[in-house]
Amino acid sequence: MRLLNKTLVGAFTACVGFGAAAAYADDIRVGITMRMVSENGQAYGQMMMDEIKGINEAGGINGMMIKATLMNDECKSDKGVANANKLVFQEKVHLLIGSSCSSVTLPIVDVTAKAGVPQLVPHSTNSKITQKGSEWIFRIPVSGRYYGGVNAKYVGENIGTKIAYICAADAASVGDCANLEKQMKARFGVEPAYRADVQEKEVDFRAHMQKIKSMNVDGILVAALAETMARALVQSYEAGIGADVRRIGSSSASNAPVPKIAGDAAKGVFFAAAYAAADQRPIAKLFNEMVKSRYGIHAPDHDFSQAYDLVRIMEIALKNANLTGSLADDRTAIRDAIANVKGYQGLASGPISFCADATPQCRDGNRTAVLIGYTKGGEDFETEVIARVTMEEDFGLE
Amino acid sequence: MSFLSKITDFFEYLAKRHRLLPWVFAYVALIPLPFILSALFNEYLIDLVNRICLFILLAVGLNIVKGFCGQVTVGHIGLYAIGAVTSAVLSLEPGGFGGALGFGWPIWLSIPSAVLVTACAGLIIGLPSVRLEGAYLALATLGLGESVRIFIAVTPALGSSTGLMMIPAPSIGSYTFDSFTSYYYLVMTAALVGIYFSFSILQSATGRAFQAIREDTIAASVNGINIIKYKLLAFVLSAIYAGLAGALFAHMPPGYLHHNNFTVIEMVTLLLMVVLGGIGNVWGGVIGAIVVAIAYDQTKDLVFYFMDRPIVIQPLVFGLSMVLLVMYMPRGIGGWIEDFQRNRRFIRKSEERASGSTRNT
Repeated sequence: MRLLNKTLVGAFTACVGFGAAAAYADDIRVGITMRMVSENGQAYGQMMMDEIKGINEAGGINGMMIKATLMNDECKSDKGVANANKLVFQEKVHLLIGSSCSSVTLPIVDVTAKAGVPQLVPHSTNSKITQKGSEWIFRIPVSGRYYGGVNAKYVGENIGTKIAYICAADAASVGDCANLEKQMKARFGVEPAYRADVQEKEVDFRAHMQKIKSMNVDGILVAALAETMARALVQSYEAGIGADVRRIGSSSASNAPVPKIAGDAAKGVFFAAAYAAADQRPIAKLFNEMVKSRYGIHAPDHDFSQAYDLVRIMEIALKNANLTGSLADDRTAIRDAIANVKGYQGLASGPISFCADATPQCRDGNRTAVLIGYTKGGEDFETEVIARVTMEEDFGLE
Repeated sequence: MSFLSKITDFFEYLAKRHRLLPWVFAYVALIPLPFILSALFNEYLIDLVNRICLFILLAVGLNIVKGFCGQVTVGHIGLYAIGAVTSAVLSLEPGGFGGALGFGWPIWLSIPSAVLVTACAGLIIGLPSVRLEGAYLALATLGLGESVRIFIAVTPALGSSTGLMMIPAPSIGSYTFDSFTSYYYLVMTAALVGIYFSFSILQSATGRAFQAIREDTIAASVNGINIIKYKLLAFVLSAIYAGLAGALFAHMPPGYLHHNNFTVIEMVTLLLMVVLGGIGNVWGGVIGAIVVAIAYDQTKDLVFYFMDRPIVIQPLVFGLSMVLLVMYMPRGIGGWIEDFQRNRRFIRKSEERASGSTRNT
């Protein structure tokens, strides 16, 4: 009986603990919800936390410290929404960063729009995110609608128009498939030579690859998350499809597991991304060295660069925002300050600019994609920059 | 007398007056909860309570088939998905933002329709139980449940990978249940009614038939219980709970569904609620849902640093607690509750006996 009573008292004490989180006043509170279940996911989150720590150690933002809370959403929308609600209503954050996965970011857009909290998107590429008309959303990565255009132009003009599509069931990959398909039809009037919709974590592509082999296609689009893509690439060679049939990756081909797992099968794969580790700019070389020394990553992918750029843009906006101490006013001031970021030149493939209108034209900050090819697979993979293409802001919109 | 005993006595007193009185009292007592949470803590806790109410519905429903009737099912999450997606698709406007299927039905029609569809699906998921038992039944139901998720994942009309977006919130006239507080009254009512009916089922002839099947199928059959009928009925009743929980989940702001919400991991979490609460114990399932939901919420930002590298330890904590529970607390919290009730009955009888003997002397 005493044990039960103690349990009740303990439960009440725990409940009191719920309310204690928002008891700090003079900090700028930033909430981060990301996919932390993968090795890279943890590193991206860690990089943001390290960069924020660096800002604080350098004196903070106009004398105010940034208090960051990092949460794991496991790439699941219900958990992402719960995290966003917790960060917005319990932690009372000034700014929300999230998420890695488009399927998580899509519902969080509605949470931040309703609560009036500025949201910076670190990695999600699905075009619909900025098409919801939220005044509070800003996307750092290149939108899927631009990737589709860049890929279609290069594929149609340099490889051919007879393309087979392997589309995994995650939101980003489905978007990448749909965008390339749409652009190939618009530019060259062609439909996919073959299309297979597969599971997000599909393991067996051999039947599809045998069919594709018999069709003599010019190229194969493999739109999938990193590990799934790597498996598909390996199995395409196992099925006997030669290297003359070019392999086109979706934007997640940028992630390190692709060349590491695919090994030699990664050689020749090209994809559009927002950052190339082969970038020869001094800032990129410094960044590569920093990521290697801090996190032991051989060559950072665009999710690293986007996480880094996001923190820099956040820093600029927070410094320019006139914070008054009123949470609602401060959130609005931060939103307006982000909307005023113009021509930010960081690691990204092109300048990042935002504006005030709640339209994709204003809120898809980076319109430049870089076409990257793997020249070597394996642990010590190497890449080359094939082209850099900037799209019109209306591109890909109906 | 302890605080808990006083509460129990009070509810027993109310029940003696009218069997619905304790439930009415509980409902009235729960009405101000969002305002208390909001005033003392913050609004987020109302959202957490809303999710707990849905978990309670799910756990109590799962307890009917697993706890009362002893059927090992791992497909409950698939039924939850069917309820959610059906209600969402029926209520979405045709040609909406996400590009998914939409029929534009009123929500108050889409929710019962979803429950009906899920009940039919429950019948289908229950069919293997006619011929299979134990691990084989678990595998069959797991397959059916997972195939539902995969079907949603590869069907663009059901949201596919992008998910179903902008699912409308319920409304009555001009009043819309689109805030944490307003939605609380929907899910709290559903959870309370669900618990009440679960007790009603347990105490009815149907409940006794379920328990007889759980204890010994052959003996139950010899005693005239139609095994097939009652097994399927358990699955259907359980599916009704899952369907209602799913439909309410779909319409809960921000109104978004994705097939990733219905994976095997979610099913294991649901099982953890029932096992922690105590299989076959209604209150155990309720407490299990509350404890697991709060523990999950409190541990999700727990990051352990090993050699300066972050490690998310929540999956470890949950996996380990499941193993420890099965090893050291197989009867779950429900076991405690049963011990508590038994002790109370014993103490009361002893007191009555003592007072009776005093009077006699």
